[in-house]
Amino acid sequence: MTGPTASLSHLSRADGSASFKCPTTGYNVLGSVNAPIELPARRDALKPEEATVEVFVKPGNTTAGVGERYVEGILRTMLQKVILGRERGFPRRGVVITLAILGGDAVERGDSYLTLLPALLQTSLLTLLSAGVPMSMTFSTALLAVTKSGDIISDPSPVDAKTASSLHVLAFSPKGHLLLNESQGRFDFDTWESVRERAYSSCRGAVITGSDGDIAMGEEGEDSRAEDFIRETVEDHLHRDYAWKIDSA
Amino acid sequence: MAPPAATAAPSVPPSLSLPPSQFARLQPHAYLLGHLSPPSASNQPSIRANGRAPSQFRVTSANAGSLTHTNGSAVVRIGDTAAVCGVRAELLHTEDIASWSVSQASGSNKRRRLADLGEKPTEEDEDEDPEEDRAHIEDLNLLVPNLSLSTGCAPGFIPGAAPSALAQSLSHQILSLLHSTRLVRADDLRVWYQPPNLGPEELERHNDEEQMDVDAEQSATAEEKPREIKAFWVLYIDIMIISLAGNPFDAAWAAVLAALRDTKLPKAWWDVDNETIVCSDSVADARKLSLRGLPVASSYGVFEADAAAGWRANVIPDAVEENAQAQKDKKGSPERWILADPDGYEEGLIQERACVVIDKEKDGKTTIVKMEKNGGWTVDTEDLRQLVEMSARRWDEMKRILEQC
Amino acid sequence: MMADRRRINGPPGGTRPAVFASNLQSGTSATDRAQRQRQPSELRKIFLKTGLIPTASGSSYLEFEPSASLAAARANPKSLIPPSSALKLACTVHGPKPLPRSAAFSPNLVLTTHIKYAPFAARQRKGHIRDASERDLGVHLETALRGAIIAERWPKSGLDITITILEAEDDRWWGSAPDSHDASWGMMNVLAGCITAASAAIADAHIDCLDLVAGGVAALVSDDSASTSTVAPKLMLDTDPAEHRSILSACVVAYMPARDEITELWLKGDSSKASLEDGDDRTGHEALIDGAVDAARGAHAVLAEAVRESLLKTVGQA
Repeated sequence: MTGPTASLSHLSRADGSASFKCPTTGYNVLGSVNAPIELPARRDALKPEEATVEVFVKPGNTTAGVGERYVEGILRTMLQKVILGRERGFPRRGVVITLAILGGDAVERGDSYLTLLPALLQTSLLTLLSAGVPMSMTFSTALLAVTKSGDIISDPSPVDAKTASSLHVLAFSPKGHLLLNESQGRFDFDTWESVRERAYSSCRGAVITGSDGDIAMGEEGEDSRAEDFIRETVEDHLHRDYAWKIDSA
Repeated sequence: MAPPAATAAPSVPPSLSLPPSQFARLQPHAYLLGHLSPPSASNQPSIRANGRAPSQFRVTSANAGSLTHTNGSAVVRIGDTAAVCGVRAELLHTEDIASWSVSQASGSNKRRRLADLGEKPTEEDEDEDPEEDRAHIEDLNLLVPNLSLSTGCAPGFIPGAAPSALAQSLSHQILSLLHSTRLVRADDLRVWYQPPNLGPEELERHNDEEQMDVDAEQSATAEEKPREIKAFWVLYIDIMIISLAGNPFDAAWAAVLAALRDTKLPKAWWDVDNETIVCSDSVADARKLSLRGLPVASSYGVFEADAAAGWRANVIPDAVEENAQAQKDKKGSPERWILADPDGYEEGLIQERACVVIDKEKDGKTTIVKMEKNGGWTVDTEDLRQLVEMSARRWDEMKRILEQC
Repeated sequence: MMADRRRINGPPGGTRPAVFASNLQSGTSATDRAQRQRQPSELRKIFLKTGLIPTASGSSYLEFEPSASLAAARANPKSLIPPSSALKLACTVHGPKPLPRSAAFSPNLVLTTHIKYAPFAARQRKGHIRDASERDLGVHLETALRGAIIAERWPKSGLDITITILEAEDDRWWGSAPDSHDASWGMMNVLAGCITAASAAIADAHIDCLDLVAGGVAALVSDDSASTSTVAPKLMLDTDPAEHRSILSACVVAYMPARDEITELWLKGDSSKASLEDGDDRTGHEALIDGAVDAARGAHAVLAEAVRESLLKTVGQA
């Protein structure tokens, strides 16, 4: 199984940018961020003490609709908590994140957006890192599906997601806090708990000691943790940026 | 207006020189905190500024069927938040569906094959192919919910302007939940037509829908033409939030649920002479929708004692350590409160939110249909478990209210 | 039509309203035609309550008493086609509040009125975007209220009045074919209700007014069948268009009893053929306006009671 790929800062006019590609779901998202910037048109809506976070999601093949408004709301609530909007230079200004969906299945009317949400979250995180926006923490995300027979599969393909009995998106902080949970379908709390455990291990690599020891991290292995993916992407980028210095040393 | 200096000493409610209503406006966080953690000497219970206990929902009432020009309608009030929902049914003729002939052919083949194999789908859908059910409802756009906040329900929503981001997002959530809970059965929305056989008595029967299923099986050998779908009912579900004082989603969803429970569709048949669908206006012929389950939404907000918790570049302790710490000082005063059904005032002080949609099976088993949490890092497994339990109790209450209306 | 990206859209091919078999066969249901049970000068009861929407500075909810036929149909439902409908609307007032930054200076209170039908309010599904008749109603309401509010007490301020109509009145009986006297008569009843409700909401918001302005409707109707059309039309107050065979002319006024002033007058149709009592030498339209004023006086009594209630509530709170 090939993992996701990402690259940073390839748009020259934006303060920060990133692109993210997930081979299993087929989604390809390009994100850019401008921060901190003045938002003269929204003078009345600006908050006196902190930055206003705005997120725009643009589907690739059509104009944005109600579904995009919904997912923008989720992203905004999540990122507002993570971005340190009271740092110097940020209050009364805006952090504007634009995410364009370049590839993958079109999201249908009334669709839950859960399959797309992790890619959007990862991209916005990488974009913010690329722009150097101050953040209290990073996060890592996981998409899991529970099949009709009760099996948990991580990163389900679009077909698996469609036939699944429930879909879950979870995000964890580097210290293991559950930052976000979006679950839909039919499930009971015990199922959700094992989903959480599985998501935790795929994000952070460590398995919390549970009664059923069969939740192995074998298939992912230590080196494909979602958390490490972000770190590696940023390290690679830094390595490239400072190649001249490293070479001369 | 008192000078702001008078408020320089927050969190000391007894020594206030301001009336409580002014203090509530100037120092909302301290005001709510003062209510939730009263000084231990005062012997007062921890209670929200609106007089509710943290886990208490607002008084809820529902009233169905009062609007004349709807197929089903309901008014739901949760405290000061009021939602009116009207369901209007219109017909979508299959000849108006561009892709119908293609999808129909494949659909009926599949149906037939299923029947040939004698395969019985899951017990809850005896006569229903779940995939076809989904395809008809979702791909043909048979459910059209729209929520409006431009009713003057709260300051800040400009009437006449396009739906705000919040209204759009709520409309989407309602549609998404209608789809994922599969609340409405596609079969309730189908208008069937049995092309007549030669016998004259068959003509008499051709609109007798109830008998159809039985007949189709009994006389399958009698060379009957396959019955076909001539039209679908499209349900336009419009929700007007008349008054908004926090937590619009719970009220809107409850209104949708109550209105759909109230919805009656007239009996409809294909009229060969007029080549159109004709309905009977008789109330006796009309039938109610048979909904799948009764999903009830409950929303929560987390109020943090430390007003700065949201923005300080603080060092956040490791989750596992924190848990242990929390276990240790469980006796002490809590640092946060999970408030059920937050009102407008509380929503302004809340960043972390959770929403749980619950349904219960006939045997009383709780099923989670949707569970969301976002905007913070304090709510985790233990809290969510409590929220699910709380929502299950709320389900019992809502069931009683919805059944009475 | 372009799909509206900010709303959830139905099937792209569009849908058709249900056609009832009883409508296709002509003349079958003529007997169940709604009939006016009230005396010509008897008004319908009005339910009016203020302060139901606490997030607004002022609010009111208004409901007309259902007609006899509608009440009967509700009590004992037989047909899915309602015989008539009764006005239901909610009104909110926001303000006085500062004008938006972009607005020009105004020495007076700037009044904005906005009337919108819910999509399910009428027999035909209404669109989400305001149509011409809804804008028209808004303008009429603004004129009616502007004459009553003492606007110079709030310079540089705005007042937003928003009305959501949950159930509207019919323009004619549903079974009748549109005829030459046809117009949107139901709209006039809606306007009268809007004026009364808005007045209550403004009082609930403690905005100074010259008087409580109330709306009233009167109409010239001919209820006889076409064969005896020689009988001249009669004047009726507070007409429900669904209960009459033909309305020739109708009039709405916004009226302030204390000053005996009309702030808004809207008269439609041909009022020349009115049959008045002997010795009454008023012209048709004079009689019509007098009738509408009488209806408004009736509404004013309800309005005054609702405002008194609202006041007692605020006094009780303080």
